[in-house]
Amino acid sequence: MKPLRLPTIQTLRTALTAATGRTGASSAELYVKAGCSLRIDAAPWRTGAASPPASEDWRLHVGRVEERGWALRAGGPGRALFLAESGALPAPGGWRRLNRHSLRAGSLRLPTPHRRRSSLPGLAGKDVPNDDSEAFGRQLIRDVLERTRAELPGSCLIRARIDDGASASILANSAGVTGRTRLRLVTVRLDFAVERDGIRGSCSLYRAAGDPSGFDAAAMATEIADRLTLATAATTPSLPAREIAVAPALASSLLALLGPLFRGRDGWNTLQRLTSGHSLGPPDLQIRDDGAVEAGWIRTPTDDEGVPTRAVALIRDGEPGEPLLTWEDDGWSGFSAAGCRRRSGWRSPPEVSHSHLYIQPGTDSADAIRSGIRHGCYLLDRAPGGRCRATLGVSDNRREAGFEIDATGFVVERDRILGAIPRTRLTGSIRELFRGIRAVGDDLRFLPVPGAVGAPTLLLTGLQLEPVAHD
Amino acid sequence: MDTTVTARRPNELLASDVGTLTDALARLAVHPDQHTEAFFERLETVELLPRGASTRLRLRREQGLSVRRLEAGASRLASADAISGHTFASCCDRVTGTAGSIGPAPKIQVSRWLPVRMAEIERAERQLGKAVSRRRVGFPMEVTVRRHRRQVQVVHGRVSAPSQFEEYFSLRLKTPWGLWGGLLPSLAAEDLDPVAGCLVDRLRSRHLPEHPDTPRILVLGPCAAAVMLHEVVAHTLEADTLALTGAPDSVVGLKLGGVHLDVIDDPRLAPDGCGRFSDDEGMTVIARWLLRRGRVRQPLADLAWAGRCQRLIPGAARRANRHLLPGPRTMHLELLPTDLPEAELFQEAAGGLYIAEFESGTLDPFDGGCVLRAPCARRIGASGPADFVGPVEIRSRTVDLLAAVTAVGDRPLAAGAGWCAKDGSLLPVWARSPSVRLEGLV
Repeated sequence: MKPLRLPTIQTLRTALTAATGRTGASSAELYVKAGCSLRIDAAPWRTGAASPPASEDWRLHVGRVEERGWALRAGGPGRALFLAESGALPAPGGWRRLNRHSLRAGSLRLPTPHRRRSSLPGLAGKDVPNDDSEAFGRQLIRDVLERTRAELPGSCLIRARIDDGASASILANSAGVTGRTRLRLVTVRLDFAVERDGIRGSCSLYRAAGDPSGFDAAAMATEIADRLTLATAATTPSLPAREIAVAPALASSLLALLGPLFRGRDGWNTLQRLTSGHSLGPPDLQIRDDGAVEAGWIRTPTDDEGVPTRAVALIRDGEPGEPLLTWEDDGWSGFSAAGCRRRSGWRSPPEVSHSHLYIQPGTDSADAIRSGIRHGCYLLDRAPGGRCRATLGVSDNRREAGFEIDATGFVVERDRILGAIPRTRLTGSIRELFRGIRAVGDDLRFLPVPGAVGAPTLLLTGLQLEPVAHD
Repeated sequence: MDTTVTARRPNELLASDVGTLTDALARLAVHPDQHTEAFFERLETVELLPRGASTRLRLRREQGLSVRRLEAGASRLASADAISGHTFASCCDRVTGTAGSIGPAPKIQVSRWLPVRMAEIERAERQLGKAVSRRRVGFPMEVTVRRHRRQVQVVHGRVSAPSQFEEYFSLRLKTPWGLWGGLLPSLAAEDLDPVAGCLVDRLRSRHLPEHPDTPRILVLGPCAAAVMLHEVVAHTLEADTLALTGAPDSVVGLKLGGVHLDVIDDPRLAPDGCGRFSDDEGMTVIARWLLRRGRVRQPLADLAWAGRCQRLIPGAARRANRHLLPGPRTMHLELLPTDLPEAELFQEAAGGLYIAEFESGTLDPFDGGCVLRAPCARRIGASGPADFVGPVEIRSRTVDLLAAVTAVGDRPLAAGAGWCAKDGSLLPVWARSPSVRLEGLV
């Protein structure tokens, strides 16, 4: 695929002058994004309900996508407009369709240049998907399939999807703020199924990496085999909830549920109510959001408004640290802003969002946490199609903030697996969840759940496990 | 009936001669069994956010094209965010993997955009407020109104289908006790009035605890019945869903429900402004009997599936946008009425629940498990729906849900329109259904 080309800052400034001149807007911002991606969809053809498909008989779809678009935000006090269009940025004469009536009720404020620089010095040299990417993707699917079949005979691939994309963006506003990003992200989604002892089970695995070589077919096959084994296992009658270890996949889902607690003034106030004079969690609990974290996939020097990103200590030593604040709230309660407005594409205006939200790894090894459980559960991941929700008490103060998430895992005693848990519901209050963290593992993993959310293995106490019947 | 749908239909999307494009595409097919097509798309979304939002008006306009080559069920697609001879030629090159695959780039011209009309969108909030007031209640709500316009044109290697145009509206309403979202064919008073009814039902059931179990008897109103049928009939009978667990055409003739279940998918019958005569592969759509007297008659299929399974008929391909491949999807589902008066659905149903709408539904394609969530329901008394109860979640299997339908009412209504998000592709879906009665769900 061709390298991604973007207009220069000077071109954007010329266009801004034309747009503000036509509309009479006192401020304006232009954002241009270009991207290209390769999508591989593979699934076996099926010729009969009982027979597994021959390994070579695949339904293969390959898409090569080139996307390009821009967005203009223009306005001032009392009037504003958001306009997004596909294709190249119009030439200076192409703004004639805008006029003073194009602005409608609203109010637009834009960031001004920031003295602080991003902790990420420059843009990494990211390439774009090419012909090798397609061969690499097809080989990855084949490898995972063969290894999974070797680990769990009878398992079959239902569907595989690889999205390998690169994007670049540039923005400038009338106050002089500029920003550039360049990203490469590859996601893999694999659906497998198996039938064992008359029980059909399935699982989905969704993983992301900064480039195609970031995937380990053997590790993915093991994860799939574990999940399929659980999905087709008989339910264990007792669910000891005294000690519950949660693997990074489930811990990330839990952290994603808590995301709103760490954003803005409302989140901060809710978090303060949860602490009510006590510690929120153990002293070794650190939760951060960092747009430039080394291990992340979407590391950028600025956010999608051109505000520099930085590491924000949301929970520091078990206590609320600082909230994730936009530039508009800079200085609120003495806290500094961070670049935290992201666009899901050129069609969307920037919205407050985490970049890399994660629990910092602790000193305990994940193996030690698992083997240290005297009699409890080790929960691997969310149960497919199960519940995953939290009530954070923002709109309804009468109820305590709580959560429930359907999970799958094992009953364990020391290093021994006593039984399987195809599906259970982990519930509790948010307060108990934080206070019940007994150990933080050293195996931080980022997962797309969605967004980049990361967590290591956690040991939890004080929560409840409820049986959930198979549908 | 009053309507606010665009009275003037737009011109064909491609203003230039499509003959040059069909010739160019014909050059791409190396074998006679290869199918090539070009898909041209134009989308416009006008969004008016609630008062107090920093930018109330958001206007998005996009157009682009994709070229696809299909052979033995495998596809290669290339897409771009512009419509021009150069991008068309570039996509052809990327699909074939050769430079200059169609020779010189053809000239492509597109028609003009329709004018942006704002009056109906700006009126909607006030009209909805009036519809709520007529029910003698009042509460704060934040209203987001969107108008969606989509025009597509498909050019085959042999023939070009006429341009298809859809215009519809979506509403997102935020109240102190939750969100309501849905699709409307227009913003006329007749279409907004049922929305007010849903909001008032939710007001009356706010803070009520979740209903603990599935009752013995359920009566689903037209909206709820349409959502259930969308999940358990339409999604289940999409060829790609069927292929997850077996051969798609092996289900033809299978009995899924009682003889009163006649379900048709016919995109031509979608509400005014939303109907289609050809699908997103340029194939003519048909009135497709999904279930005929409770038996599977014709699953939903696109060209790829129809090429693989001889018993399947194409014409049900849809794609969320030009960058995605088409797949078999429902568009307008219709459950045919019986002659059973609506009131008889409530006979000897005391203690059961009446559910007017489901807010979401999901289908597990692997095991047929279906989850339907209603924000509220009403307990059925001696004379019909009575007290409100809190949220209800129904977890069952496709076959059990369809087997539980024991009666179908006689008054079909356009109902249950919403966004279908299968595989992350957001598509509008429409339906027409009478009320139904379910018994014996566990």
